[in-house]
Amino acid sequence: MKYNYLIIFLCASSIVFAGDVEQYQDPATGLLTWKTRQPGLSLQLIQLLPDYVTAVYSARGLPPSLVKTMASHCVFGTIIKNESDEQLSYRVADWRYVTDDGKTQQPIKTKSEWVKEWKDQGVSFRWSILPDDQTFEPGDWSQGFTTIPLPPDSSLKLIYTWRYQGENHKHTLEGLRCAPAQAPQS
Amino acid sequence: MPELSHELTRLTTPIAAPDFQLEDMDGEKYSLESYRGKVVILNFWATWCPPCRREIPSMEALYQTFKDEAFAILAINEWETEDHVFAFMGELPVEPGFPILFDPDSEVAQSFGVKGLPTTLLLDTQGKIVYRAVGGRDFDHPEVKKIIRELLPDGAHPHSHN
Repeated sequence: MKYNYLIIFLCASSIVFAGDVEQYQDPATGLLTWKTRQPGLSLQLIQLLPDYVTAVYSARGLPPSLVKTMASHCVFGTIIKNESDEQLSYRVADWRYVTDDGKTQQPIKTKSEWVKEWKDQGVSFRWSILPDDQTFEPGDWSQGFTTIPLPPDSSLKLIYTWRYQGENHKHTLEGLRCAPAQAPQS
Repeated sequence: MPELSHELTRLTTPIAAPDFQLEDMDGEKYSLESYRGKVVILNFWATWCPPCRREIPSMEALYQTFKDEAFAILAINEWETEDHVFAFMGELPVEPGFPILFDPDSEVAQSFGVKGLPTTLLLDTQGKIVYRAVGGRDFDHPEVKKIIRELLPDGAHPHSHN
């Protein structure tokens, strides 16, 4: 029987491998990170607590109503990197999240959509969210928030796509979980 | 967080950089056009951006290597206030010797097509963008220094450093 789980306990953090996905748990916060490598790229998703999201946007001067909106979302810190020697591109508008029941497949709200929403409320801040689309040369990488309108602790999958070597690629990152409402007991 | 590589991408066709005028912490104005004749690094950054913070020491090391040559680094802060950045600077292990400029409405970043932070552009002495890097980099690398040397006017070389 082929094992598809390999559990390694390290002194600093616990790492779980499930197929081609590494899952890390921060020993100090209990929060989870998922990392996957696929042809050409690596993608990392980091759970972010609502309190953290609140602090980020409050510090940027967003009005309380917008801060509350942001913090009500399931937010992942997202790092996407070109791991190849060739050009690679992605487009968030092509990504989808799937709820635990498998019935809902929805688009991810893009940076442009957020920026427009903020601008409509008089805020010209235009950073923090993962850029809508980028073409990466070798060595390029980017980070930003990915926001999903789900409550804390929700389970989901992320279907993400990218273009590499003249082909469109798609992968499903399974077993994701939104951050809890508060930091877990470590 | 990914390791900081040193790769800079050479643009197939250099692009003329749009001029701008921004202020530093003391309200002194800096115009990009005034740097014509120098090799210029434009680095778009913010204090809340972890890779932006990570690459500052290597940018300072690069600046120290070439500061007496026809070379400049302009670190363009996005959105933040002078007070906030001043406080942040006090926490750094190195004090940058290059100008920190403020792009409060991110208009300059938009004019350069910057989508994420940090983004670094390398301009030649004609004011054209010749190299680009998206994401944090280690600028204190022999390959980066080699690129700078090749762009300097008349093949000028920096005074000896490590």
